Amino acid sequence: MSDLVVLGLKLGFLALLWLFIAFVANVIRTDLFGRKVPAAELAQASFEAASAPGKPQRISRKVGKQLPTVLKVTHGPQAGKVLPLAGGVLIGRAADCQLILDDDYVSTHHARIALSSDGYQVDDLGSTNGTFINNERLSATTPFGLGDTLRIGRTMMSVEK
Amino acid sequence: MDGVVSYRKRRGVEAFMLGFSILLAMAGYLLTHLNRDASLPPLWPVALIALGGIGVGLHLVIRWRIPYADPLILPLVMLLNGLGLAMIHRLDLDDSRAPHSAELQLTWLFVAAAACIAVIIFLRDYRVLQRYPYLLFLAGMTLLMLPMVPGLGLEKNGAQIWIHLGNYSFQPAELAKLVLTIAFASYLVEKREVLALAGGRVLGLDLPRPRDLGPILVMWLVSLAVLVFQKDLGTSLLFFGLFVVMLYVATEKPSWPILGTAMFGAGAFGAYLMFGHVQTRVSAWLDPFSDYDRNYQVIQAQFGIAWGGIFGTGWGLGRPNITPLAKTDFIAAALGEEIGITGLIAIVMIYAVIVARGLRAALGAKDPFGKLLAAGLAFVFAIQVFAIIGGVTRLLPLTGLTTPFMSQGGSSLVTNWIMIGLLLVITHQVRRPAAVVAAMPMASLEGDTTELIDVSPLMATPRPAAPPELLNPEGSPDDKTGQLPTIDADQLNGPIPATRPISTSDETAEIARPDQDEATTWDATDSEARP
Repeated sequence: MSDLVVLGLKLGFLALLWLFIAFVANVIRTDLFGRKVPAAELAQASFEAASAPGKPQRISRKVGKQLPTVLKVTHGPQAGKVLPLAGGVLIGRAADCQLILDDDYVSTHHARIALSSDGYQVDDLGSTNGTFINNERLSATTPFGLGDTLRIGRTMMSVEK
Repeated sequence: MDGVVSYRKRRGVEAFMLGFSILLAMAGYLLTHLNRDASLPPLWPVALIALGGIGVGLHLVIRWRIPYADPLILPLVMLLNGLGLAMIHRLDLDDSRAPHSAELQLTWLFVAAAACIAVIIFLRDYRVLQRYPYLLFLAGMTLLMLPMVPGLGLEKNGAQIWIHLGNYSFQPAELAKLVLTIAFASYLVEKREVLALAGGRVLGLDLPRPRDLGPILVMWLVSLAVLVFQKDLGTSLLFFGLFVVMLYVATEKPSWPILGTAMFGAGAFGAYLMFGHVQTRVSAWLDPFSDYDRNYQVIQAQFGIAWGGIFGTGWGLGRPNITPLAKTDFIAAALGEEIGITGLIAIVMIYAVIVARGLRAALGAKDPFGKLLAAGLAFVFAIQVFAIIGGVTRLLPLTGLTTPFMSQGGSSLVTNWIMIGLLLVITHQVRRPAAVVAAMPMASLEGDTTELIDVSPLMATPRPAAPPELLNPEGSPDDKTGQLPTIDADQLNGPIPATRPISTSDETAEIARPDQDEATTWDATDSEARP
């Protein structure tokens, strides 16, 4: 091969090598600060919506036709846990609950999520510290739909499809 | 709340960069043959499939098991490996005695990638490694000392760092650096508070208490033993440096690295005065041309890099084989000759980025063990690269460390890949958004005030003191998110004192009174009993 081609290939290789490093630098730059997590991923939106009263109800009615399928723990010691709703979930400290919360603020049988004709509903089973939907304490059976936040003790939950 | 910051998975970026790195490695291989014979090697699709297979396999396992892992580490390591393989193959072409070391190294790369995959699949929670600090320490020390056992140790190229098992020889220090990094990290997680205690203050430095000097003294003596008996400056520098750096990371006390540097300096100077082989190394570093025959290797490396110049001679067109051990210790010199100082700086940059990504993971890690382990792993790479490339370019006395991922050698390659697997697992845990949520304070309870119950009537009747672990169940006393004190059942049943402050809302009044299903003790003398 001619010297010129050899020189071109040599410089081309080095240029590619440094282009690789430039790409690496760009990945590091775009990776520097992370990003805000979208609502769907962490159920963050439902938590924020809960602080603005009135809003979550409207959201849940818009999508209310389809039933949620899973209960997701969004905050608290078991954050990230997902379990199927499957007709109903019993929440409390006792071993026979489907979701066991090891928390001093939770009663043995604290609350029940049950399916009714209007979708899922939450019943407080006479707990000491109460069950909260969107920061309002339950006094009667309350619907629990998409976009609502359920709080029991230190744990917050939401339902997802 | 403004939302939670998390990291994208960026697996697509990883795949693209992986492809780019394999392209660069293949370019090195193909250019060697193009420059020498003006034709492509017949087996190049095989090499492409082998490298690509390793890359795709690792990438898919990462996608499957640790999707949030750092997207840059794998492509960078693959690039170093690929360039190393290309250079070893290029050296094979002019080496009639060992013409197949590249193929052997590729086999080792398969083994190493399999080890890395095993780590990723079976060790998703790296915290299990924290359990056995002293056992791992003992195992690491044993590995380090193994070459000194008569009959088992093997002296090669002036350093007794090999052991031979049957037909295979093996460098136990390579495995020891992995084992000891884990041991140091778990030991320092336990002991960092004690080690951070300042003793006397000398010349504006907070020196540790004399009795806390034990561990650093042990490491110092072991490093000196390695230096003296195994004649291996690099290994001794690596382990002592690693220990001191991790002490510094754990305690944040600058007195530890200053003390460590002084101790290592004193030890090394003593060794220089007493041992001939150390003097040889130092003279080869400061004044290589005083003895051309003895310092032949270092001198040839200098000539090679100088001949390469800024842009190098081009792949396959230099004469890197003149330098002895060009495939192992002096691969940096061979690369410097053929891709020039521009390429060598690019390689050093790539190592720097790997170290930076490791330290980035250490910064982000939530648990102290992950922090120390990531920092330790990053520093193992940093110290190795600094010592060997510094030695080859005569910035430092030459030490017999391997160039991670590039130089020929199975034990080093496998260990380094296992370390990369660990680092990837840690970065996955660090960047995963769920971990961020779990670490947030309990937002809903944070603003609530705790109801105060006047216990003075109860204190009149003496109560048995609670066991100390009940007073402070978890964490330090000022830990806000820790467990709140719980109230004994018979207190609740008794009359509530009239002087009880009424809290602002029903909700807070309710929330502060825990349910009592199990009798837990809340001692009235709680606050006095705390240290």
